[in-house]
Amino acid sequence: MSNNPSLHLAEYLERLPGTTFKKLYQQPSTAFAIFRRMLPHLAKTFVMRMLFMPHPMTLNDLDVWVKPEAKRNKDQSLSILRGLHIVQISAPSKEKPQEIQLMSNFKRSLRLALTGGGNHNSFGVPSSLLIPPEIDLQFLDRYARKKWEDVLHFVVSSVGYKSVGDGSGPNKGVKELLIAGRLVDRRPSGGLGITQAGFTFLLQEANAQVWTLLLLWLDVLGNNKGSGLDPVDMLSFLFMLASLELGRAYDTNALTEERRNMLPSLVDFGLIYIPQHKRSMFFPTRLATTLTSGGNSLRTISEGVTAATQSAQASQQSLGPLSGGGEQQSGSVVIETNYRLYAYTQSALQIAVLALFAKLNMRFPDMVAGRLSRASIRQAINFGITADQIISYLAAHAHEQMHRTAALTNKPVLPPTVVDQIRLWQLENERMKTTSGFLFRDFTDDKDYLDTARFSEEIGVLVWRNDHARMFFANKHEQIKDFLKTRKRAE
Amino acid sequence: MDAVDVSEHYEVTSVDSPPSLLSIVIDTNPRAWAALESRLSLSQALSNILVFVNAHLAFSNTNQVAVIAAHVNRAVWLYPTAAAAAAQKPPAAARDHSGDVQMQDVSAETNNSSSSASANKYPQFAQIESSVFSSIQSLMAETTVQDLDQYTTQLSGALTLALCRINKASQALSSSDTTLSNAAPVNSTAPPPVKGRIVVISVSDSEPSQYIPTMNAVFAAAHNQVAIDTIALAGDSTFLQQACFNTNGIFLKASNPQGLLTYLMFGLIPDTEARESIITPAHDTVDFRTACFCHGKVIDTGFVCSVCLSIFCEPPENAECLTCGTVLALGNYGAKPAVLPRKKKKKKKIANGSGREETGSATGTPKP
Repeated sequence: MSNNPSLHLAEYLERLPGTTFKKLYQQPSTAFAIFRRMLPHLAKTFVMRMLFMPHPMTLNDLDVWVKPEAKRNKDQSLSILRGLHIVQISAPSKEKPQEIQLMSNFKRSLRLALTGGGNHNSFGVPSSLLIPPEIDLQFLDRYARKKWEDVLHFVVSSVGYKSVGDGSGPNKGVKELLIAGRLVDRRPSGGLGITQAGFTFLLQEANAQVWTLLLLWLDVLGNNKGSGLDPVDMLSFLFMLASLELGRAYDTNALTEERRNMLPSLVDFGLIYIPQHKRSMFFPTRLATTLTSGGNSLRTISEGVTAATQSAQASQQSLGPLSGGGEQQSGSVVIETNYRLYAYTQSALQIAVLALFAKLNMRFPDMVAGRLSRASIRQAINFGITADQIISYLAAHAHEQMHRTAALTNKPVLPPTVVDQIRLWQLENERMKTTSGFLFRDFTDDKDYLDTARFSEEIGVLVWRNDHARMFFANKHEQIKDFLKTRKRAE
Repeated sequence: MDAVDVSEHYEVTSVDSPPSLLSIVIDTNPRAWAALESRLSLSQALSNILVFVNAHLAFSNTNQVAVIAAHVNRAVWLYPTAAAAAAQKPPAAARDHSGDVQMQDVSAETNNSSSSASANKYPQFAQIESSVFSSIQSLMAETTVQDLDQYTTQLSGALTLALCRINKASQALSSSDTTLSNAAPVNSTAPPPVKGRIVVISVSDSEPSQYIPTMNAVFAAAHNQVAIDTIALAGDSTFLQQACFNTNGIFLKASNPQGLLTYLMFGLIPDTEARESIITPAHDTVDFRTACFCHGKVIDTGFVCSVCLSIFCEPPENAECLTCGTVLALGNYGAKPAVLPRKKKKKKKIANGSGREETGSATGTPKP
């Protein structure tokens, strides 16, 4: 239900036990990928500073690094680092101050990733075979897009909007996965219907969608003991894919048996491409290599640069409209303060998604125009789409120009009036918001209560508190439990 | 109105942190490195710097780096190299209409020909490493004996190259669609699309004759919100201290050059974003001395033209400013001050305990 792309993965990782992390961090590319993808900026800085320290340092020293006004930020970073088992903090005791150090596995792997060397082959063994000439970046991009749009079309078409897609739909395995993951479900009538999770999936940005699907897949395979696949190994294989290089061929023979067995499914998702005649090589596509980038995989900033330089070259060599990177236009929606919506797109898929919550009334060769209205939003809400989902979709697909104007004027990307109004329309019949979590009450004394409440606020899990009744509500409890335990022990 | 409105507002801002471009300027003065050889050789230093570069790239896949060598007689790109781009295209296409050379960045396009990659290294890291090592080898091979007559380093050129690179990157990002961007009003308070940063690894003294070009580069950097950080392994880098001070950068004086990696990873890893929450190593004293315009000497006190603010170490000929030609009146410079007998003052009784006498010039020298 969250619109932050890394949250799904974060939740999944948080559920894993510490021993799993130990195994994951054996592989340098995994340590590297988790570092890059999962940590906030400040936490990354901490890790880098501690990476080459020979001895553990005291927590007090860490406090000195940070400006007082950033304390909250620091506590949250530390809590994430602990949650991912990247740092180890010694238990408080009277004779020794608390010490912090990187987990030895993680430290060794990240050092190896940065300095190179070792013999772990975790960044992929390149294939020595000749690469077929037709396989270039454009080809891979087109291929990945086609595969992925097939998946999305399958989900969208179950809403009832006629899909104009030319594809035959995704593979059977993918369809079953989508059904098993309850993104779509079988209706009594025999057809397929989209579920609320399906809408969430649809309205996410591409990178988050890929992760959602992959995690579903891991879950399904993990529950199925007969498959002989180890979810931990699969996860580290995914992280390895993310560190491969786009456009390069890799050798399938260098992979273990289990990992080779995963390849067909990854081909179905469009994460890798295997040429028909040369089965012993595979190419990662952009969907795979951008798994660890934050934000949208198809609208990353480095690609903005690429597109810019390509268009410069194209115009100079008068090649006409550019093909390739610029073709993947997902940032295409402009929304104005008067609720009018313009989408520069030809993709039937995107038009279908927009039609879920907007009233589209004009269609041009490369653009559709419409507006958001109370009726259209209410209709979307009846489908089970939430206002948050609509807003995060609009934000994720905002046009370049919206981002630029926002950056230049220091204003939010979407007009606040529209954002507020979408929420108000939703609130018309939804007056309650539920948060699952844990209520803490019956504290022995006031100090006990205040300390615990403050702690939970600092690590960012506090949802509600009532000082008078000495109760508070938090959406996660693991760290509070640890905190209470160490408090008790210290007494 | 805002006071009346107590309802919650939701604002959707873009959460992607802008990419950060790190430009590293390595002082490759052969004499200075020869003097350092016993403690830290150039190749050791380079491997340390490459680990630092990798650490920077590890932060985000949108981060970029540039490595520039400031040599005795010129500044040279070590990475990205212009040669790689020129090899792929015909030479005419390598330069675009503005005369720029298209630079090859590994994240942009990948050439399949370089198949030397190992499976134990992140491909981007391997490419940077090979590029830096091969360019520095060719740079050293091209260095002639005559070049060694120069004692100092072409620092200003390297700084300017680094700034050009940052500027180019930010322009490419902010105007990928030039037709639309012209309509948007430019707000000078908006953060730049790229967080640029320059790290200078300095081993030699500052060259006084380069004072003006260096300071021009520094002010340009300060204007573009680009921080200049310096780690001085040896030598007396007066101007770099000022550069760091003016651009809010970090100046580190490495007393143990063999620990270069630790200095880099600890002191210089926080980029401009992390510096909002991390306390950075402070430089306690800044050498504010400047070089005079007439002889290029580094001076403490000198003469300043009242019109164009040029600095001279001695009164110029005919009291005419060498820069703007204004005739300057020197007043009674050089005349011996008349010594007046000191008036006997009655000792004031100080009531509130402040024992400091009024000296007439209590204010400090204004900062530049």
